[in-house]
Amino acid sequence: MLALVVIAALAQWIAPYPYDQMHVRDRFSPPTLHYLAGTDEYGRDVFSRLLFGSQLSLALGTTATLISMAVGVPLGLIAGYRRGVTDEAVMRVLDVMMAFPPIMLVLLILAVTPPSLMKTAIAIGVLAVAPIARVTRSVTLDLMSGEFIEAARARGERLRYMLMRELLPNVWPVLMVEASLRVVFAVLLGAVLSFLGFGVQPPAADWGLMISNGRAFVDTAPWISLAPGIAMSITVIGISLVGDGLREVLDPRLGGR
Amino acid sequence: MNVISARRAEPLLEIRNLTIRYREGERQVTAVRDVSFTLEPGGALAIVGESGSGKSSVAGAILDFLGPAAEVTGAILFEGQDLAELTPAQRRNILGRRIGAVFQDPFTALNPALRIGRQIAEPMVQHLGLPLAEALSRSETALQEMGIDRAAEVARAYPHQLSGGMKQRALIAAALACEPPLLILDEPTTALDVTVEAQILRLLSRLRRDKGIGLLFISHNLGVVRRLCDDVAVMYASQLVELGNVHRVLERPAHPYSKGLLASRPPLAAASRDSRLAAIAGQMPTTAEPDAGCVFAPRCPFYEPRCGAGPQPMTITLDGHRVRCWKADALGSWPRQQVAAAVVPAFRRGDALVNVTQLSKTFETSGGLTTWRLSMAGGRPQLYRRARRVPAVNDVSFSISPGEVLGLVGESGCGKSTLGRLLLQLLRQSGGSVEFDGADLARLPAQALSPFRKQAQIVFQNVGSSLNPRLSVGEALERPLVLFKLAKPRDRARRVEALLDMVRLPAAYRKRFPHQLSGGERQRVAIARALATEPRFIVCDEPVSALDVSVQATIVNLLADLRDAFGLSYLFISHDLAVVAQLSDRVAVMYHGRICEIGTAPDVLAPPYHPYTRILLASAADDEPAAEPAAGGTAAAAHAGCVFATRCPHKLGTVCDTTPPPLRSLSASHAIACHLDTMPDIAVLPVSVRADPQRPAV
Repeated sequence: MLALVVIAALAQWIAPYPYDQMHVRDRFSPPTLHYLAGTDEYGRDVFSRLLFGSQLSLALGTTATLISMAVGVPLGLIAGYRRGVTDEAVMRVLDVMMAFPPIMLVLLILAVTPPSLMKTAIAIGVLAVAPIARVTRSVTLDLMSGEFIEAARARGERLRYMLMRELLPNVWPVLMVEASLRVVFAVLLGAVLSFLGFGVQPPAADWGLMISNGRAFVDTAPWISLAPGIAMSITVIGISLVGDGLREVLDPRLGGR
Repeated sequence: MNVISARRAEPLLEIRNLTIRYREGERQVTAVRDVSFTLEPGGALAIVGESGSGKSSVAGAILDFLGPAAEVTGAILFEGQDLAELTPAQRRNILGRRIGAVFQDPFTALNPALRIGRQIAEPMVQHLGLPLAEALSRSETALQEMGIDRAAEVARAYPHQLSGGMKQRALIAAALACEPPLLILDEPTTALDVTVEAQILRLLSRLRRDKGIGLLFISHNLGVVRRLCDDVAVMYASQLVELGNVHRVLERPAHPYSKGLLASRPPLAAASRDSRLAAIAGQMPTTAEPDAGCVFAPRCPFYEPRCGAGPQPMTITLDGHRVRCWKADALGSWPRQQVAAAVVPAFRRGDALVNVTQLSKTFETSGGLTTWRLSMAGGRPQLYRRARRVPAVNDVSFSISPGEVLGLVGESGCGKSTLGRLLLQLLRQSGGSVEFDGADLARLPAQALSPFRKQAQIVFQNVGSSLNPRLSVGEALERPLVLFKLAKPRDRARRVEALLDMVRLPAAYRKRFPHQLSGGERQRVAIARALATEPRFIVCDEPVSALDVSVQATIVNLLADLRDAFGLSYLFISHDLAVVAQLSDRVAVMYHGRICEIGTAPDVLAPPYHPYTRILLASAADDEPAAEPAAGGTAAAAHAGCVFATRCPHKLGTVCDTTPPPLRSLSASHAIACHLDTMPDIAVLPVSVRADPQRPAV
């Protein structure tokens, strides 16, 4: 996973060719030493495009998740802490959001305005607010029965301290796992959007876009679609494993006496 | 044990040199070390010890519940058959059919999605091959045998519809469904109220007598053991330290640990301010090394260098009593702690610190949208609110003077914790008032409560959740200092160390996190956190109920010392009358949201009693059958008359059902809410004297 981030960050320097450089004579070249993952219909090096694509995918995934955490976590904490009317209000609004098919909601946001990477990230991020808030709320509700919360109330602690010091650190491990899953979803959804043509616009290198482009040539040049597909699988598995690892590191009870 | 083994040839259960080790990563922890004992058919043996002593592992090994991380050596012979030699399938066949098991928590042991009858029938279908219909009808008979009146009704009920005592009866019925000759009970009454516990124990001893079932009873409570068992095995730090006849062990314990355990149980009698419970210093080692000397030596007041010389062998005294102590015969009684006579403050009525008048709290079940219902009554749609109102505290009045301790006793669900939270304004009352130091708290807005919050603090029951797992002890103790600006930043560390010292914890504990502390240590930190604001009043909500007996004694003593050192007032809430009596100047007995008796501790513990107080005392001392709790549970509190009428053995008639009894003063310091002209005055005291562990422990 770490390797993935490093590769993404260093794409400019590792990549053998710029992502949009066309090698007209070597169109549809199968994977060779020269072109590690072959070339596409314009003779662009698929491997280089993969590397640049990873930049886009990871940026999209993390930005989207950060956006949804920034909105969802406070909402969930407040709903779980205040309960009653606040809780009902927040959760019913989120229910309405969850009632829309995810793709429709994102397409709706993207269709009315010209697509861009940031806008895609926001759209995907908004979509994940509801699940993040729900997870935060359920963990908070669970914590609220803890007597240390009541002890803090007996000291007359203010809302801010309750949420930030007493509750948030205890919600954090669960959130990290959830967030890692959300990054995975965001990467996948981003790819779907580009595949449909609503996300990143050509000639930018994006995995979804590459799969979409390669679709026409699957029987003659399968590597064009296959390579980004494999890259995506590796990313997804990698991020999930990191999520599991994070939970083990962050849980104080697993630290031993 | 020789006495019994002479009776019959083949023992029901024989454990020989049982050792259990758990692998935890690289480490190996020995939970049970070289334990041997025998249980005859129809006999009853109790294994007693603190949490972590290995007592439950013994049961786990017999039942094959320990999982792959456990390595079991030694022999477990059941009816002469070594269980370790059997295949898993054969072993499963013995479990349930020949060995029944009942565990601690009746609230989670039943499957919530299945009817009770079905759950009792299950083992009969499984092991005896009965058709389901016959098994179901047999399960009704089984419930009847457990002393359940409407057995057919209960068999059709789901677990959530039953009270804790009923669930435990159903579980015992399920364990006995195939009429096994051995029943293993792992702390079966720990989660239950004293009155219910007394009923379950009576049921078990009846089953034992009528059906000749052998019992292996695991408990931390020596008092419970006396009523049920013939023999008792005391476990400490993975070893058996004493084994013998129950009366011999409880009346003349030979091992220092047994002596300490018995002495640290509070007697069921009012205690003076300068008395302290006998306590066992230190705590049980998690990894004992018996080869390097007696495992109890570090905590033993009888220690001498020879104790640390080598492993302590089990010695057998003339009357067949086994003790793991080389000088058991030469020991005196466990030393009592004495403190210099404290100045008992004179409490006058006028200067109350906390004054509670006609306090009431009614809970409405869940707010939110779900309580709104649409009705078409009257021809047009109407929205109305469907809220169920549950009164938790009803018309309660009392006062607490500065430096005074008021004990509050009652069964679970009686509203005692709600009352404590109302006093601290963690909940807002529905009616009545709480005055603190002359100020009516209900009139203050929440923001203006800060000075009050500094002076009134709380200590909780649940040692597992009373500290934030993410904050170190130092951070937790520093927070009140920061919040109330009690110490300058550079003085804070010193103040935290002073607080730790007050609760007798080393200063190095500042850096520790809650999961690195034992239950008793966590409770000390929670007490230190409450003390940090320099309060005058602390609500102690069952502060010792989750702790082992020996730890409980040290915490009770600590609370008594702090009370005398700082002139603190407590509202001490507990279900355990003996613990309350140990610490309190006055005692209030609560039932279904109302106070039925209030007075000085000696007044409440001596006749005349409120009928409910008498039942509580009798259950604690196991004197006579307690009345069955009302079937309706807390809902019964809503009716018009005396809340206790449905359970009262002295019920007069309609007056009890229609008129709530007023709290009548019997003397300047004692009041009882009852319609009876002469309160039951048959003393329970002779029993409570017998229950006093100090005397026989010598």
